[in-house]
Amino acid sequence: MEILRVLVLSGPNIWANFPVLEATVDIGRFEDHPSNTLAGFNERLVAWLPTLAEHHCSVGAPGGFLERLRDGTYFGHILEHVTIELQSLAGAPVEFGRARETSRRGVYRVVVEYESEALGRAALEVGRQLLLAAAYNEPLDLEAQLGSLREIGERTLLGPGTRSIVNAAKSRGIAALRLNDRNLVQLGTGIHQRRIWTAETDATSSVAEAIAQDKQLTRCLLRQVGVPVPEGRTVSDAEDAWAAAQEIGVPVVVKPRSANHGRGVSIELSDRDSVLCAHEIAAAEGAGVVVERYVRGLQHRVLVVNRKVVAAARGDAELVTGDGVHSIEELVAMENGEPLRGESDQLPLGPLVLDDIALEMMERQGHTRTSVPDSGRRVVLHLNGDLTADVTDAVHPMVASRCVLAAETVGLDIAGVDVVAEDIGRPLEAQGGAVVEVNASPALLMHIRPVSGPPRPVGDAIVDALFPQGKPARIPIIAVSGTTGRAGTVELLKVLLEASRRSYAVASSRGLFLRERRIAEGDRTDAFSARRILLSPFAEGAIFEVDPQGVLESGLGFHQCDVAVITSLRSASARHSRVGDRDREIKAVRAPLDVVLPNGTGVLCADDPEVCELSRYNRGRLVYFGQSLDNPLLRAHLDQQGAAVSIERGQLVIASGGHIRPLCAVDGITKRHRHRRGFRLLTALSAVAAAWAFGLNEDVLSSALAAPESTRELLAPSVPERRSSPELSSTVRP
Amino acid sequence: MSLNLHSLRALRGPNRWADVAMIELRVGWRQAGPDEVDERLLELVSELAERGVDAERDRPVPGGCTDVSAWLLARVIAALQSTTGVGVDRMAIGATRDRLIRRIAVEYHEEAVARAAVHLALDWVDHPATVKLDLARRLEELEGLSLRRQLGPSTQAIVDAARRRRIYACRLNEGNLVQLGQGARLRRIWASETSACGAIAETIAQDKELTKTLLSAAGIPVPSGLVVSHASAAWSAALEVGLPVVVKPRDGNQGRGVSVNLDTRSAVITACERALTEGDEALVEHYIAGDDHRLLVVGNRLIAAARREPPCIVGDGEHTVFELVAIANEDPRRGEDHATVLSKLLLDDLAREVLTEQHLGPDDIPLPGQVVRLRHNANLSTGGSAVDVTDEVHPEVAARAVEAARIVGLDVSGIDIVASDITRPLEVSGGAVVEVNAAPGLRMHLSPSIGRPRDVGAAIIDSLFPNGDDGRIPIVAVTGTNGKTTTVRCIANLLRNGGRRVGLATTEGIFVDDDLVDSGDCSGPNSARAVLAHPEVEAAVLETARGGILREGLGFDWCDVAVVTNIGAGDHLGLSDVETVRELVDVKSTVLRRLMPGGVAVLNAEDPLVVDLAATCRGSVIYFARHADAPALVEHLSSGGQAIYCDEGTIWMAEGRRRRPLALAAELPSTHGARVGFQLQNLMAAAAAGWALRVPDAVLRQGLLSFSGASVVAPARFEVVEHQGRTFIFDYGHNADALRALVEAVDCWPSLHRSIVYTAAGDRRDEDILEQARIIGDHFDRVYLYEDQCRRGRSEGAVVGLMREGLALAGRVRQVIHGSGERAVIEQALGDTAPGELLLCQVDQVASALGWIDDWLVAHGGARLRPRAA
Repeated sequence: MEILRVLVLSGPNIWANFPVLEATVDIGRFEDHPSNTLAGFNERLVAWLPTLAEHHCSVGAPGGFLERLRDGTYFGHILEHVTIELQSLAGAPVEFGRARETSRRGVYRVVVEYESEALGRAALEVGRQLLLAAAYNEPLDLEAQLGSLREIGERTLLGPGTRSIVNAAKSRGIAALRLNDRNLVQLGTGIHQRRIWTAETDATSSVAEAIAQDKQLTRCLLRQVGVPVPEGRTVSDAEDAWAAAQEIGVPVVVKPRSANHGRGVSIELSDRDSVLCAHEIAAAEGAGVVVERYVRGLQHRVLVVNRKVVAAARGDAELVTGDGVHSIEELVAMENGEPLRGESDQLPLGPLVLDDIALEMMERQGHTRTSVPDSGRRVVLHLNGDLTADVTDAVHPMVASRCVLAAETVGLDIAGVDVVAEDIGRPLEAQGGAVVEVNASPALLMHIRPVSGPPRPVGDAIVDALFPQGKPARIPIIAVSGTTGRAGTVELLKVLLEASRRSYAVASSRGLFLRERRIAEGDRTDAFSARRILLSPFAEGAIFEVDPQGVLESGLGFHQCDVAVITSLRSASARHSRVGDRDREIKAVRAPLDVVLPNGTGVLCADDPEVCELSRYNRGRLVYFGQSLDNPLLRAHLDQQGAAVSIERGQLVIASGGHIRPLCAVDGITKRHRHRRGFRLLTALSAVAAAWAFGLNEDVLSSALAAPESTRELLAPSVPERRSSPELSSTVRP
Repeated sequence: MSLNLHSLRALRGPNRWADVAMIELRVGWRQAGPDEVDERLLELVSELAERGVDAERDRPVPGGCTDVSAWLLARVIAALQSTTGVGVDRMAIGATRDRLIRRIAVEYHEEAVARAAVHLALDWVDHPATVKLDLARRLEELEGLSLRRQLGPSTQAIVDAARRRRIYACRLNEGNLVQLGQGARLRRIWASETSACGAIAETIAQDKELTKTLLSAAGIPVPSGLVVSHASAAWSAALEVGLPVVVKPRDGNQGRGVSVNLDTRSAVITACERALTEGDEALVEHYIAGDDHRLLVVGNRLIAAARREPPCIVGDGEHTVFELVAIANEDPRRGEDHATVLSKLLLDDLAREVLTEQHLGPDDIPLPGQVVRLRHNANLSTGGSAVDVTDEVHPEVAARAVEAARIVGLDVSGIDIVASDITRPLEVSGGAVVEVNAAPGLRMHLSPSIGRPRDVGAAIIDSLFPNGDDGRIPIVAVTGTNGKTTTVRCIANLLRNGGRRVGLATTEGIFVDDDLVDSGDCSGPNSARAVLAHPEVEAAVLETARGGILREGLGFDWCDVAVVTNIGAGDHLGLSDVETVRELVDVKSTVLRRLMPGGVAVLNAEDPLVVDLAATCRGSVIYFARHADAPALVEHLSSGGQAIYCDEGTIWMAEGRRRRPLALAAELPSTHGARVGFQLQNLMAAAAAGWALRVPDAVLRQGLLSFSGASVVAPARFEVVEHQGRTFIFDYGHNADALRALVEAVDCWPSLHRSIVYTAAGDRRDEDILEQARIIGDHFDRVYLYEDQCRRGRSEGAVVGLMREGLALAGRVRQVIHGSGERAVIEQALGDTAPGELLLCQVDQVASALGWIDDWLVAHGGARLRPRAA
């Protein structure tokens, strides 16, 4: 069994409207050995991947795939399911897959959804090895393989917080484009784009972040506006720390001036020795030490997004409970074996750590790391452990308004405000509670997957903040597809749209145009070029020429369009051998039509019966163009109140709602535009139809068609550019 | 002879002396007086003169020859500060009650420097010989202190630009963090980074490879490059991107670890190893021949451009490279830090390598005219220089720079472009954008080595505050002897009714709408600053007491409305060297001096001293008066001015001859049916302030009508409680004017018998306490006296003794009762009061006293005045 090649279809494609890998797999001799003919194969496979039992497959219920295995299915199909399962186990919850025979015996196309290209490819390879090992009854270190897949996942998948934001965006139909292999994501397209990087947005001020980093400064600013904070100050050395503790009044907290995640923080210190010792721990973090009043109560994290509290979590003490048998060290190791705990940022609980602070805390409870606590005896390791319990609904409105003010004062649009209070349901002032810290780029996991209480839609809150209802998130797109006549349509379309004083970016076989400038020459009909336009903060709208061959090789570069034009499906016979088969070619041509927005328009050539067939895939409005109003199909369409662009009595006309409006004499158009490469009369019809479908009114169109041409020299780039880059060859999806 | 320093304080805002920050010291002369020339100070002056600092020239002693020595001291303090390179020149001398003590005020830029300068001057006078030996070091320390404390040149340029546009600027830490604008409209800058600079944009700019990917996607020419994490991969990467190459750390700045124009395998590998000491990954980039340019983009405009030249020396055929570097470094423009036009040339390892490439060593003597490079890159911090080329940049190049900034997402950015000719498009010259920098240094544009300086500070301010926006919120400052608290509360109420979120600083605390932000006496400059730093505040109402002005100056730079309720005979005279009412007027006039052009002064037409202040203010005036015939009012109206006054029970808003009614005095709850005259005055002052801020009439009226009850009106500001036939009035006034106003109001309550609980504040002058006692004695039958917290420095029994003395001279009083402690006396007085009688309680510790009073009322079958505190 061999994987012959893998195509990365990074946008909507002939299989699905989201990214998939299309692997061409030669299963070789297994073509003669479906699963039910290999003794023990199914059992070994399911023993390694018991979760395959969940797969529905074509049966449509859990266990469906196992049924197919028992009945006998081919290795291409099995590889599809195994690859999907392996990706899920590595952290990418993908579901979609297809396996299809090709015209070559034993060669299959195995299609699997992916989130991370690297993980998808690796999972295919591990899947292949796994199938072979199961078939030949050979040993396989699955744990090691899964481990390396997980590692790839950790490195290349979105973190849980970013994922929740991206998913929220997708559920609102907002495109998400990854800008690097970490968590930098562009939401929305062109001039409407926003950026996020984990829980930071492009509205997160770096000055505010610097302020939040400086605890002492933050506290001064908060105190000034009346947010309760623990009194305290920076200290110069250990003795000064003790002096400060006495000024403030014990117990106190000693912590580094700028550090995150509770590192180096010691709390509830009352005597000189523990203050001196805590100073040493805090000083080791560098950047100075702060001593402040110890605020009694529980640690809370209040998430503020755009002046609203959207979630709150409560932290509980980290502790182990004795069993009279194991030492604290052993109890900690046992607790760390729990599935909720681990280093991964995908897990809600971090591992318990016996650090200096824990040791100090244990000592105060009369324990060392090797002592064996009595059965049922609780030993506290850290007073402020992971934030695990959702308490959003309990937050008192006064507390919420203090947290919002704290975020606003620091200047953060998204902030994690740390509040210590006995009861988050009462005003802070009434219980001596305080805001102890304001964090930029707060972790969202605790709110998305709390250990107790309901998850909170923090991703939605962030997306709503970035894209308030009514604010556009996408630029309008016209896609021109078909086997012939695309480039001419695109060029004339650009001319027509310019007449409406709107500047559209163009990616076509004649180059890439942005802001009246040709930014790249040559054929730019590929997905990557379309994506370049969507990434540009200057693009107000785009016209994309779509080459079906490119769709087959890499999918579409956009995930929705307003107008999809299909010029023709004709005269492609010469290319059939390259494309493979006619059915795939038609699907590829159709791809833009499949992603027309419900309020968009499909523009189809009425003179090509095969193109007309595609109308059933169109979710939006339908506009035909054809050389004669006598075309019966076109006529029928008009009779049903449809719209069309055609020719009548030497005039180019728009027929719609029973009216026929002449725009311009056909002779004139031909005379004016025939110098264009690839200009034909149908080109003019398709371009006018697209422009009209796009919303240009008849008057504008009429004068645009009649206007003399402006000829402008466009600057061409001089520095040779690299065609693709790893960061940008990532996904576009709805 | 030596000097005694009695006090030293920094007046951080506009103050009684000047509109700039001043250091104020109180100094006592021991033997010779301040009028005589101090030889030692003269000696210091000549010592400084030897160092090129002139402490005497061009500075005639004002007003003849008095206070010669005091003036000399002031000049020395100014001159010492000036040695750090920041000149100061405002100074003033003030007398005190003591013939040998002077107040000396000297302008400053950095408080710490000013304090150190004062101590240096005084030390000199004490021990001239010792200090003289040490003078050079102490002056150096002063300079070092100044460098450490002063804003960096980039920040300073932005702050200066803000001040020129009257945008409020307030430093928030010892570093370069500055608040610009106020309240809900505030912005911040930290060095050249503004609060509009995105954290993500900054991170993108840090990642050069990502930046280039994004730029190139948008069609901006960038050099092709590859990231390597090991030196062994560098050469193949170099071949792929095309020789020659540049090698640099992937996440570096300031040009550390950068090597350029490499075309041999060994050079590439060595350079890569060096780059990798600065980070985990190095960038191998195609080398683009041409000059380094830095284009500063602010918003969507190119503001400045500089061609940066790497540090070099020119041979003279005589000196070695080593000597030439030393000679160049003697140039005073070359400093150790970022504050100077040029930095010192370095002859470090990197420089030696560059020399080796030129076949030179440090001890070789270059030929005459030979240009020897010490670096390949042109960073100012390693001794490079900058030539302004702003006017030469081709518009297409500028367009690419602006696009690059926008793509990365930075509001202020430095775009590095390598091009052989910046006057031609990059596409033509083969140039490219090589880097986009967040928080770019502005020094090379502010003071280029050659060419015209560019006002980049102004550009940044224009982008933060576009379209002439000054980032200000309306500020009302209220000063005066009595009635300030009620007036500010009422103004806050009016503005809130007008839909604004109001920040209020009073003697009772700081409030933002109903939220208590801070408690205690908040009528000083810190509190004003706190209100202006609150990100939700849309209008500020600031009680501005005399104490704060004297102690620290004003906490705001300009106000839109300045209200002076009254001055009368003054209060707190004899404190803080304010001996006479005239001087008090001077202090209060600080507020009027800081009225914005176009602002409005709201002045009491019935107080002649207040009327006098009208002359000092540059805005317009709205007068208020309880009577239509106040002369200042009549005159003002006749010349078309605005006023609010009361006539026949109606409050009128008048402008010239026209007037319209605002409300009936009797329908305003806080005047108790027009009986409390001074409340009426406060309300009119407040209404005038509202009028000045264009609050609509209907809102003004509604605001006055809704201004009642202890929760809205200030607590213990003439609170009247009817309790089982008895009338209790609680108030807080502590001076003769307040008492006169009070008894005038009390006269409107018919009662057979009147008692008063009173204590005078011990920090007032004897004559003032006697006067207060006399007023009380003339109007009350029974007087309860106590001493408590308010002794303020006097010995036990002293205040009561004075009061008794004064009461003895008065007419009406028949019984004087002396109790111990505020609470006991108030409770006794409440209990003693019979039905039909009136008791006026002058509370001192307002919050706690009102608590006990509430408890007493409840215990005696009454209702609480206010809800129990949480």
